[in-house]
Amino acid sequence: MALLKREEWQGFVRDVDWSYRYVDDEAVYPEWHSGTGKVPREAWAAWEESYKVSYPEYVATQREKEAAAYAVKGALQRSGVWDGLSEGWKSATKMHFGGAAVAEYAAVLAELKMARFGLTGAWRNMAVFGQLDELRHASITTFFGHEFIGRDPQYDWTQKAYQTNNWVAIALRNLFDAMMSSANVVDIALQLPLVFETGFTNLQFVALAADALASGDVNFANMISSIQTDEARHSQQGGPTLEILAEHDPVRAQWVVDKTFWASARALSALTGVSMDYYTPLEHRKQSYREFMEEWIIDQFIRTLEQYGLRKPWYWDEFMRGLDVWHHALHMGFWVWRPTIWWRPMAAVSPDERAWLTEKYPNWEKVFGDKWDVIIDNVNAGNVAATLPETLPWLCSNCHLPCCNATQSRDGTWRVRDFSLSYDDRVYHFCTIACRQIFWKDRSGVNHETLVDRFLAGRIQPMDVGGVLGYMGLTPEVMGDDPDYEAWTRDYQGRPAAGLVPAAQP
Amino acid sequence: MSEAGTTTGPGAGEPAPELVPLNAIFATDFVQILVPVTTADTMAEVAAAVAYHVEGKRVRALPYDKVVIYHGERLPAGLTVAAAGIKPLDHITVEYDIPEGS
Repeated sequence: MALLKREEWQGFVRDVDWSYRYVDDEAVYPEWHSGTGKVPREAWAAWEESYKVSYPEYVATQREKEAAAYAVKGALQRSGVWDGLSEGWKSATKMHFGGAAVAEYAAVLAELKMARFGLTGAWRNMAVFGQLDELRHASITTFFGHEFIGRDPQYDWTQKAYQTNNWVAIALRNLFDAMMSSANVVDIALQLPLVFETGFTNLQFVALAADALASGDVNFANMISSIQTDEARHSQQGGPTLEILAEHDPVRAQWVVDKTFWASARALSALTGVSMDYYTPLEHRKQSYREFMEEWIIDQFIRTLEQYGLRKPWYWDEFMRGLDVWHHALHMGFWVWRPTIWWRPMAAVSPDERAWLTEKYPNWEKVFGDKWDVIIDNVNAGNVAATLPETLPWLCSNCHLPCCNATQSRDGTWRVRDFSLSYDDRVYHFCTIACRQIFWKDRSGVNHETLVDRFLAGRIQPMDVGGVLGYMGLTPEVMGDDPDYEAWTRDYQGRPAAGLVPAAQP
Repeated sequence: MSEAGTTTGPGAGEPAPELVPLNAIFATDFVQILVPVTTADTMAEVAAAVAYHVEGKRVRALPYDKVVIYHGERLPAGLTVAAAGIKPLDHITVEYDIPEGS
């Protein structure tokens, strides 16, 4: 018997849409999960993915990917590659493992929600493959990170980080809960596959793969490249969903895309921006974070907006200015509050590294150099204690990252400004104007409390440094510290240094 | 979390000072920080409490007095938090009071 052509059977096996006799459509696809909104129910029948796959084809392809990834891992497991990696690069991987492993599992739940409540059979079918993808990503990321626990306890945070009250983990849960868990499936399809996976995973999975290979971490590059091949397929759930939503409710489409792009940009500036421009050894950096963002994210995002008749987000100028500031300030924040993180942040501000930063970001010295110089002079004066924190950074009530984004004044100076609003008898502070705007428009939704909110509410006891570290689950063997102070301070030894705080007397 | 900037107990008949956690930034520092003060603290003490976390640590110390700026107004050094109307979670900036021409 001759085999049927794909187009003769694909629709039949994929488009499983029953006509209900005992319940109405709203009972099966309730608005709060399915979220059709102003889009007529029948409009979703036009949903069509561009790249089609059957289950046998999917299994065969995934089997090959898994075999290849684990073969490389098996071959490298007994080699000395890991021992030769720089501490900076290891920090980039610890940050990734802790930030991604369980977040990938949250993506399983998002895909399952679309597999159940998606508004057409084709969409639900693609989401089933998507959830299988995400399950693989959660597994492979956890397994690859787990291998190193015996050599370095910070890798234990591969699985642990996302489930703690660590401030970085709270920021990630705040992002991904809104993106993947609490939204209806129409919004999820725009937020997760369209904005985050079509765009921002390129940052972590393509940019970081290049830096991983250059840094000699073939295993990590192999893992994230394997994951990225799945993203390319299941992320196509976003396009058809946006096409239908933009036709019937362009205002909603614009809002969902805008706020998710912003939230993703904030989070990835912390994860990828810091890894690319500071933790990757200077000689192995391929592009600056800004260059990568411009080439891989911004151009593509603008094309997507134009394709679907949407506009540039209202915050575009603020976002573009942030490319020169956000991740540099967050790097300094991670470094200053290093006991609160599960990796070892390299300051990476030696003269050569600062020259590279200045070449890529001409204002870097003006905005950040003076602070690093005082830190360097304190380290060289033997007063590392002066560089350690004794209070909390103020965390933005929208993105939960520190309020640390300097902007330029008319007189040319750079200052961190307060963006606040009063609502419901309290004052909220934000890192940027756009974070304040997004919070205001979404204020009726679920908003996690920041670590500062929890501290001030008295839920962290005792109310001191030890209490905060304990609340965040940090133990002495995991708390971060700079792995090599001398590497970035030695070239400044002996220079005059005024205006330092005196070292505390023992 | 620091004890810097807190004052001793009230005099007879005065209400006990209440804790006022502030969102504060010191001069050219890179980040806003949480700084707890009390309603009885003067602006000089508030400025010192904020500076404690930053001055000489990330921002080079300068030989000038410091001034608290609240809602765009420079507050007198002797004014208390209560008298200034500063409430919990409010934002303040602490700047060096650099004489013109310096």
